Amino acid sequence: MWLFFFRTIKFAFQGFIRNIWLSIVTIVILVLTLFSVTMAAGINVLANQAIGSVQDKVDVSVYFKPEVQEKDVLNVQNRLESMAQVQEVTYTSADEALEIFKAKHADDPIILDSINQLDVNPLGATLVIKATSTDQYPAIITTLDGQEYATLIQDKSYDDNQKVIGRLNDLSDRVQKIGFGISAVFIIIAILIIFNTIRINIYTHREEIGIMKLVGASNWFVRAPFLVESLLYGLLAVVICLGILYPLLSVIGPQINTFFEGYDLNFTQYFSTQFWQIVGWQILFAVALSVISSLIAISRYLRV
Amino acid sequence: MIRFKNVTKIYPPDTYALKNVTLYIRAGEFVSIVGQSGTGKTTLIKLIIAEEKPTRGEVIIGDWNITDIKSSEIPILRRQIGVVFQDFKLLPRKTIFENVAFGMEVAGIHQKRIHDIVPQVLKIVGLEKKMDRFPPQISGGEQQRAVIARALVHRPKILVADEPTGNLDSINSQEIINLLLKINEFGTTVVLVTHNREIVNSLRKRVITIDQGTVISDQSSGKYIL
Repeated sequence: MWLFFFRTIKFAFQGFIRNIWLSIVTIVILVLTLFSVTMAAGINVLANQAIGSVQDKVDVSVYFKPEVQEKDVLNVQNRLESMAQVQEVTYTSADEALEIFKAKHADDPIILDSINQLDVNPLGATLVIKATSTDQYPAIITTLDGQEYATLIQDKSYDDNQKVIGRLNDLSDRVQKIGFGISAVFIIIAILIIFNTIRINIYTHREEIGIMKLVGASNWFVRAPFLVESLLYGLLAVVICLGILYPLLSVIGPQINTFFEGYDLNFTQYFSTQFWQIVGWQILFAVALSVISSLIAISRYLRV
Repeated sequence: MIRFKNVTKIYPPDTYALKNVTLYIRAGEFVSIVGQSGTGKTTLIKLIIAEEKPTRGEVIIGDWNITDIKSSEIPILRRQIGVVFQDFKLLPRKTIFENVAFGMEVAGIHQKRIHDIVPQVLKIVGLEKKMDRFPPQISGGEQQRAVIARALVHRPKILVADEPTGNLDSINSQEIINLLLKINEFGTTVVLVTHNREIVNSLRKRVITIDQGTVISDQSSGKYIL
């Protein structure tokens, strides 16, 4: 067993070195393919995150009538928080609302004078509702439109934001579909390229495979070194791809981050936090694909 | 040693390569199988090394009926038969030493023993000084000698040579035949497939003549009769 293992490794490295140009060409193609797929997948994820980040800024404010008691507002808050569609509800009391209003119009003495002349606080309490996703707002609004709340609620900002939220949902759906489509096309192309590259590589060795069989080599004795060689191609391609990808990201990353400034999105941070996941996927994709391609391609020439 | 019982080989759809061939080659014999191109000589070799299976009849090597040999057993059979091909079939990216060693490596022989035996066998065929060269770096005659070394290295009981002189000049051809005779003297059964009249006539050994897939002559000290 050890002898078989030792010979497999020896023949694999021998084959790799003695066919160095073929090995280089195979690796270059694997690197380019991996790079394209990683970039496509990365851009897809980032586009979704960008949309998510914008969606995260969307919320709905519910303005209560000034005469509504605090406990009634808190009851509504509790009711909303118990809903699965609601992520967060922030309560702003009538006094806080007034303070915020005053601070906002600190430079406008006419408004401030008008407010000060009033004996009572004209503003009511506010609940700011954030849904788990933008398409959940209609369900929340339907609940708030119920008879029980009609006497409490003065106004809702949803009516103004409805169009924007609708468009955002639409855009998110489209980005996801297009992103999925582009990634799928890239992956299919990558699979075909890798499979064909390895197939051509094995094809150039078809006579050798036949000779090995005629001399008395078992199928695994012939097959194993080619599989290890393919494994080497895959691993080296992953290392080279990452070696190009990360320095490139450190150059273009800050510019992309500037572009998304103000949003909860960091391009370079995303790639560095997801490093091991990217490595894992690349290894799974490149190594598994080249080894499986090799296995399929070689079986054709083993029938001697 | 080698027994063909009423062997017929048909290549689809209806090409008869061999028709009802029956022959027996004893251990230690030197047999020439002659015939014109396309008469079934190579098919006969392919049946011996299980590269093909007979359509009808039986092929027996030693005590082993290989007519319906399992594909997993084919490597075991081939390790017991040395084969020399007209087009050499050396591995181009392995040195002469590695090519000869490969014949032992496939059989799982230990590295130390390989390093002991391969140089000895290369010395017998006169290639001890060229063992580090790659096949394209040596002449056709030398390549054929390397092939014989590879075929001999695991001490086979049978050596099958399919047109071993087909790509060689007369001097190199004679050297190869002398080498085969020497191997036969050590007790190895040699089956030589050829259509070289001069070589067959000079050997004065058993000659089996095949014409259109049928054995038309089998002489113990024969000549090329076609």
